[in-house]
Amino acid sequence: MELYAPMIGLIVVAAVFAVGSVFASSMLGPKRFNRVRLDSYECGIEPTPQPVGGGRIPIKYYLTAMTFIIFDIEIIFLYPWAVRFDHLGLFGFVAMVTFLFLITVPFIYEWRRGGLEWD
Amino acid sequence: MIAYPALAEIRAVDQVEGFGDDPWWIIAIKCLAIFVILVLMTLFTIVFERKVVAKMQHRVGPNRVGPKGWLQSLADGVKLMLKEDIIPKAADKIVYVLAPIVAVVPAFLIFAVIPLGPEVSMFGQTTRLQLTDTPVAVLLVLAIASVGVYGLMLAGWSSGSTYPLLGGLRSSAQVISYELAMGLSFVGVFLFAGTMSTSGIVEGQERLWYGLILVPSFVVYLISMVGEVNRAPFDLPEAEGELVAGWGTEYSSIKYALFFLAEYINMVNVSALATTLFLGGWRAPWPLSAINDGMFNEGWWPLLWFFGKVIALLFLFIWLRGTLPRLRYDQFMKFGWKVLIPVSLGWIVLVAGMRLALNEGVQREELMMWGGGALAAILVASFVIPLFTERRADVDEDEPSAEPEFDPFAGGHPVPPLPDQQVPAVPVTAGGTADETTESEAREEGPSA
Amino acid sequence: MTAPSIEYAALLPMIIVLGAGVVGVLVEAFVPRRPRHAVQVGIALLALVAALVQVVRLRDTEIIGAVGSVAIDGPALFLQGTLLVMAIISVMFFAERRIESGGNAFAPAASSLPGSEDERVLVRDRVLQTEIYPLTMFSVGGMMLFPAANDLLVMFIALEVLSLPLYLLCGMARRRRLLSQEAAMKYFLLGAFASGFFLFGAAFVYGYAGSLEFAAIDAALAARVGQEGLLLAGVGLMAVGLLFKIGAVPFHAWTPDVYQGAPSQVTAFMAACTKIAAFGAMLRLFYVAFGGIRTDWQPMLWAVAIITMVVGIVVALTQTDVKRMLAYSSIAHAGFILTALVAVDEVAIAAILFYLAAYGLTTLGAFAVVTLVRDAGGEATHLSKWAGLGKRSPLLAATFGLFLLALAGIPLTSGFVGKLTVFAAAFQGGAMPLVIVGVVTSAVAAFFYVRVIVLMFFSDPAPEGPTVAVPSAWTVVGIGAAVVATIVLGILPGPLLELAEQAAVFVR
Repeated sequence: MELYAPMIGLIVVAAVFAVGSVFASSMLGPKRFNRVRLDSYECGIEPTPQPVGGGRIPIKYYLTAMTFIIFDIEIIFLYPWAVRFDHLGLFGFVAMVTFLFLITVPFIYEWRRGGLEWD
Repeated sequence: MIAYPALAEIRAVDQVEGFGDDPWWIIAIKCLAIFVILVLMTLFTIVFERKVVAKMQHRVGPNRVGPKGWLQSLADGVKLMLKEDIIPKAADKIVYVLAPIVAVVPAFLIFAVIPLGPEVSMFGQTTRLQLTDTPVAVLLVLAIASVGVYGLMLAGWSSGSTYPLLGGLRSSAQVISYELAMGLSFVGVFLFAGTMSTSGIVEGQERLWYGLILVPSFVVYLISMVGEVNRAPFDLPEAEGELVAGWGTEYSSIKYALFFLAEYINMVNVSALATTLFLGGWRAPWPLSAINDGMFNEGWWPLLWFFGKVIALLFLFIWLRGTLPRLRYDQFMKFGWKVLIPVSLGWIVLVAGMRLALNEGVQREELMMWGGGALAAILVASFVIPLFTERRADVDEDEPSAEPEFDPFAGGHPVPPLPDQQVPAVPVTAGGTADETTESEAREEGPSA
Repeated sequence: MTAPSIEYAALLPMIIVLGAGVVGVLVEAFVPRRPRHAVQVGIALLALVAALVQVVRLRDTEIIGAVGSVAIDGPALFLQGTLLVMAIISVMFFAERRIESGGNAFAPAASSLPGSEDERVLVRDRVLQTEIYPLTMFSVGGMMLFPAANDLLVMFIALEVLSLPLYLLCGMARRRRLLSQEAAMKYFLLGAFASGFFLFGAAFVYGYAGSLEFAAIDAALAARVGQEGLLLAGVGLMAVGLLFKIGAVPFHAWTPDVYQGAPSQVTAFMAACTKIAAFGAMLRLFYVAFGGIRTDWQPMLWAVAIITMVVGIVVALTQTDVKRMLAYSSIAHAGFILTALVAVDEVAIAAILFYLAAYGLTTLGAFAVVTLVRDAGGEATHLSKWAGLGKRSPLLAATFGLFLLALAGIPLTSGFVGKLTVFAAAFQGGAMPLVIVGVVTSAVAAFFYVRVIVLMFFSDPAPEGPTVAVPSAWTVVGIGAAVVATIVLGILPGPLLELAEQAAVFVR
């Protein structure tokens, strides 16, 4: 734990700075009420009313997010393997190549099926 | 049967030599020093960027505030501090205020595990020029960087406005896409260093920088680091042509400045990480490192090399911004997913295979031959395969084969034709009836056919 | 550190099946649409047959392989063989294309909105759903690993590998899409919850025993004193996860809805194969790992067995939908099998192995018959529609009648022999009350099975009754195999019983 303790100091310094400057600017800055200024910015035209709860987000982003999670997990498996690579020998290599292959198969599938097309 | 390690053994692994025994006041000094360095680097980089870009465009750049204009960014920061703090009516107040803080705090943290130099003596205490190190330091960097993304996303979401929402979504999609390539580029380094601790990785580069052995990894990292910090040519989340200022549209005053600060600190962070992982960290470049038995690699000298390398990389960022136009969103995502990730995966397998062969006692020359052969084969394949796939893409059965016919009222609005489309001859009948009949005919045909 | 060794030959059946799944995904990516269906069916059947051959070749193997995580022994191989036979028949049902006039029983694209223009276009173009085959392969692979798992983690992974494709398969019905999607959603939510229970329990057991391996857990039971609370909580939570999969009361609520909503072919596959895999895993877990504390878990399973039998039968009496009736009957059958599981000995293992094989084949056939009775809206599953079916289509009604008699446990069918062995095992194990409840509920059950037979043969056909589709060879051969198995196992159960008895020893 003593390795992580110094980071708390840095978090404190950074947080004090960030919160402090937000607070200070709200104290120091002028306050002139202006109804138009508080509207959403849309290049000067009437703002589009926002749906309650933020509305829906295209399914495309979920697909990207899911693919990301799969690959991120793959990377997390790769790291300890890479660190101990010299001790694992041929078995470790073959095991990881098999694993990479198994992840690549659905990746190819997604690619071919148009899951990686953006427009 | 698998032997499960006892807790004490796990504790023993969770150590890095030379860290974890600093007195509290040294830690305090280091924390403050990192904070000050990062803020100064930000102020410097902003002016540096403006001056370099100005030179590239034959302009003068900032030259009024302070000596030769070098205090311009400081003045801007103070000015922003004194500006009115607007919270839009539609915003989610708490998240809106929290977002810049969430963005900026993690940005400061990454430097905690970056080694700035070797052991030095500080007020009679020997200590390393690095706040702390852990056995999984690089993983920690990735984790902290991901938290920073929340800042941008929450900013976009909480503004309650269209442009910021799109910008926030884009930035998160972009960052996660390029984080994969970035994460994969580290694997080669770990393979050679045998550790994830940053100080260990710098130690491992005593003879040869990893950036020279692992050129593809380094190139992938350089590209993905630009994508990761949303800089030109990958600055789509704040593409002013289409999204005004992206996720930052509704922000003003110091909150906007904090995002700005976070962005520039992140530039410094990824440059510092590149220096540490690929460019030998604080070690002096080759001819200098040989002088006088490595005198330039000791004491406070390494700070110079470290920041020299970081500033060189920052210059690269600025150079890119000054010369390259912004990518289109689909090109950008395609590049990340279809080029960087497959290339990284292939490269990892290649490097691991070569290293395994060396470990198993295969001769280096033989290996070079086979490796070169494999590389050549891949190169040839990469030229040949697109020839086939692109030709086939036109007749791919999954895609609509025929160009959709031009519909002058697509989506209920009158629209102009796209480049390949023909404008149909205008029927010379009384207004509107022709359109309706064709549509109803089409509807009848649909299900029965 | 030495590299771990993997006994590839012993694991080959699973590797073949899962490998076929991976190849199937690549086929989806690269093979053009027109030949894709034939290629997928070919790969799936080829892999299943090859795996079955390898299982037969392995018949006397008794090893714990893959660094102690997988046990290949008699029960595992018996169940894997049974699973593969059922999977081959299921794939034949999946491949049926004549009933839906060129389409198969699955929606052309599971992602298209029910009733949307997209879907109409896909149906018009006769687009075939072929992703079901890789999904089935993955599921079968998980099912084969489940009863062979000798390690809590591997068991959990097998559970997930077998479940996730099933959730998807349930939501792919061509007709009544919303009902199907609702079934998939319910199954997924409850199944994920049950998996969570299982994993939580596994964590508790690991906390108690300090090891994930069954042999080590068994040793820890003998050696350690204290912290029984941790252990018992773990056993209870893991039991919840497994009882959910076999559909035992009170974790049965998903069964009728999912069986009804899923495409009938998938229901057949799920009803037969999931039960086999889950009972296999339960046997190994409770006999090998928790055998030392049987006195602690036996009362729990007693209670579960009794209420499962009673609730399954009583609720089945009130059903008016064929698929729901079969679903409740499957719940009741889970109860019958549990009566034997409570008696911890080799006779019980043999009895359960036999029962699973016999019940699986019968239920496969029964659901396949359901797919053939159709009206304008797809399958006509309401019981009133089945009235007088015996007069219109005597062969089909007789086949279904045979399956119902087998499910009821009438002599000269496989169901009778199965029940007899299971109750005998329970009786020997000293579970007399369970046997009494079992016999009484069986008698009640016979009533509603016979009621359907009476309805089919002795009542007048409804004026706008359903038609009986003429299937292609795929379904005919599949149902034929089920009929033959039901009769042969009823008249000459000897060889299979003997095989089950030989196989009934767990390697520890």
